[in-house]
Amino acid sequence: MEPSTTSEAPDASSYLNSITPVESRTNELAVQFTGSGSEYFRIWIVNLLLMLVTLGIYYPWAKVRRLRYFYGNTVVDGAPLDFHGEPRKMLRGYALTGVLIALYSTAGNFSPLAGLAAFLIIAVLWPALFKSSMQFRLANTSWRGLRFRFKGTLAGAYRAMVPLFVPGAALLAMVAFEALGQRPSTAYAVTSGAVLVVIVLAAPWLWWNLKSYQHNHYAFGQQQTELRSTVAAFYGVFFKTLGVLALGALAIGLVFGVLGGGMPLFHGRQGPAALAGAILGVFVGFLFVQFGVRPYFTSRMQNLLWSRTGNSSLRFRSELKFLPLMGLMLKNWLLMALTLGLYGPFAAVALARMRLQAISITTRVNPDSLVDQARAHEGEAAGDAAGDLLGLDIGL
Amino acid sequence: MLRATCSVWTSVCSGAAALLTFVENPVSAPPAPASEGLNAEYFDGRSARARAVLLRWNGATLQIRGDGIHIDLPAHQVQWPERTRHGVRVAHLAAGGSLQARDALAWDAWMRASGQRESLVVSAQQSWRWTLVGVTGLALLFAALAVWGIPWLSRAALLAIPASIDTRIGETTLAGLDRHLLQPSALDPTLRQRVSDAFEKALRAQAAGSVPPHSLVFRSSRIGPNAFALPGGTMVMTDQLAKLFENEPDSLTGVLAHELGHVRHRHGMRMVVQASVIGLVSSLAFGDFSSVLAAAPVLLGQQSYSRDAEREADAHSAAVLKAAGISPAVMVGFFEKMNALPADKEHGVERGKGSASWLGIAIASHPADEERIAFFRAAAAR
Repeated sequence: MEPSTTSEAPDASSYLNSITPVESRTNELAVQFTGSGSEYFRIWIVNLLLMLVTLGIYYPWAKVRRLRYFYGNTVVDGAPLDFHGEPRKMLRGYALTGVLIALYSTAGNFSPLAGLAAFLIIAVLWPALFKSSMQFRLANTSWRGLRFRFKGTLAGAYRAMVPLFVPGAALLAMVAFEALGQRPSTAYAVTSGAVLVVIVLAAPWLWWNLKSYQHNHYAFGQQQTELRSTVAAFYGVFFKTLGVLALGALAIGLVFGVLGGGMPLFHGRQGPAALAGAILGVFVGFLFVQFGVRPYFTSRMQNLLWSRTGNSSLRFRSELKFLPLMGLMLKNWLLMALTLGLYGPFAAVALARMRLQAISITTRVNPDSLVDQARAHEGEAAGDAAGDLLGLDIGL
Repeated sequence: MLRATCSVWTSVCSGAAALLTFVENPVSAPPAPASEGLNAEYFDGRSARARAVLLRWNGATLQIRGDGIHIDLPAHQVQWPERTRHGVRVAHLAAGGSLQARDALAWDAWMRASGQRESLVVSAQQSWRWTLVGVTGLALLFAALAVWGIPWLSRAALLAIPASIDTRIGETTLAGLDRHLLQPSALDPTLRQRVSDAFEKALRAQAAGSVPPHSLVFRSSRIGPNAFALPGGTMVMTDQLAKLFENEPDSLTGVLAHELGHVRHRHGMRMVVQASVIGLVSSLAFGDFSSVLAAAPVLLGQQSYSRDAEREADAHSAAVLKAAGISPAVMVGFFEKMNALPADKEHGVERGKGSASWLGIAIASHPADEERIAFFRAAAAR
């Protein structure tokens, strides 16, 4: 990954980077999020109603409206981001992707072999869709009238994503063999255990590989970003998170072990009290993962990713704090539960505000001097739809 | 459960909305005369430099004037921003480039004065009254969807799914169960034959053609006395159940008639279809916030439909028994005997013991035993 994956020769942008007027004084570009929960609530409820009445066909329109609201309220140095996607084009993308996903999700029901085949087809298509999705999203995002661009190549997308499929494919292949009765069950259990361990060990590298592809290819005007993080830093965040998880699990285990010490939980008849204790333990564990481990990882990862993104004249900084994020997630979930989901839009706005306002931008380039290089290639709307359904995003 | 949910929604929201209508009524700026200009920033789409311009209307033509800028555009070649309370107004020009105005109130007043209409959706989004209508409409829609829509949709979808797929899924499922959960039957073959014969004899009283293709297999299992039906018509009875009711063949016939009810109404496939439909609706609503949360309605909804399916199957069982001249009261005895089993054999026994509490009703896959006993008792008395 070190020698940038861009195959567009020692391309135009790096040359232009050098001739962008770089000033000696730095500009601080403040990031403000001005959205309001109550306003987004009204947008959300109208969107939801229209989507249900139209049996989902309204979805792209709803999505564009949602994105325009969130982008339009993300104000960088006084100017908002903007989204330019056309719902009509996106609808076609959704229809196409919907068929694909339906085929994929039903294939596994018929036979494991069909499931494996569908998985392979998706694996072949996914990187291309992913690249398209990034291109579409960035080419349709603008700031001060200039479109962003995503300069990743197709080959780069395959390099970034194919490794992600290897462990999953191995697991699926084993399931298929198991179904054909060609393997004894113990060997199956041992190999799947080994595959799981390999997945855990490889996860930070896989994630770094994917994020490098994204963050090395964001471009705006003459500027292109790169991710200046070592893979070791990713391992640091992952293993610290695992450490937090292990410590928490140990503490919960100890507390419930001591509390339940008198009750023979694992042998003999299970008293209702022991069962209730076990259920409570699982519940506390879920709370701990949701409100302890998750915000920890989210904040550390966002800070690592964005504070290491930039170029010689542009720096992002992210200072997302763990405790406030945990408090916010706790509050959001509590109110979501109490209002049966009606608090959702308020929660989404509050979370966006906290995550976006943690970011600041320092640059030695005067924004006024930025000039568009070429009309951005828009990518396929189908890619955006796929990104949506497969849960791909810029991650902010 | 769902109806209660809706009424809570509406009352919470109407309260909030009534409060907020006060806060929200915008202090509208005095409408500017149509000829008056509006200060804005113009971006040409090639440079990030902002240029101050004055916007003015000349009939239906938008005039953009600034230092070295002289643009005339018909109004329909501009993609106008939607009115929101927050954020900067940005209009996209068809020729490329955009206009931005930080003073949103001035922009809105200027737009109003120029006679530009906003869409119904935008008006609705900016009015708490319409939002309240939206919330109520949604609640009604969800209720209608849950009570009629989803069962109807899945029934319609079932008609389009050929029975061969049921059979295929049933075979795959049984093969999987045989590998992990079930062992071959160790039961006396004559007992198996007796159970099967008693059931087929009872079915002879049914109208020809009304009995779906089915087969009965026996398996030994850790799940205790139990019976279940798979899509495609295979019914599985555990050795433990057959043994337990060895001397009460009518009870076993009742259980099998219940399972045949599932087969006849294709409940297995219906569950699969319903899960997809509920999942789709729920992810539209909550998907952008949390996928865990989006999955909850699938589980709760599925359990509720599952209880409805059990009631349907119980009704089928009672009808088959009556037609065969057996009193449905045999099922009362069945439930009582199952209830009296020692607690450690409880796993997987087809019932939700003592689940009459509210939470139990919400998450149990079967109706409470009391309800089912009462049903068979009433059917016997009819």
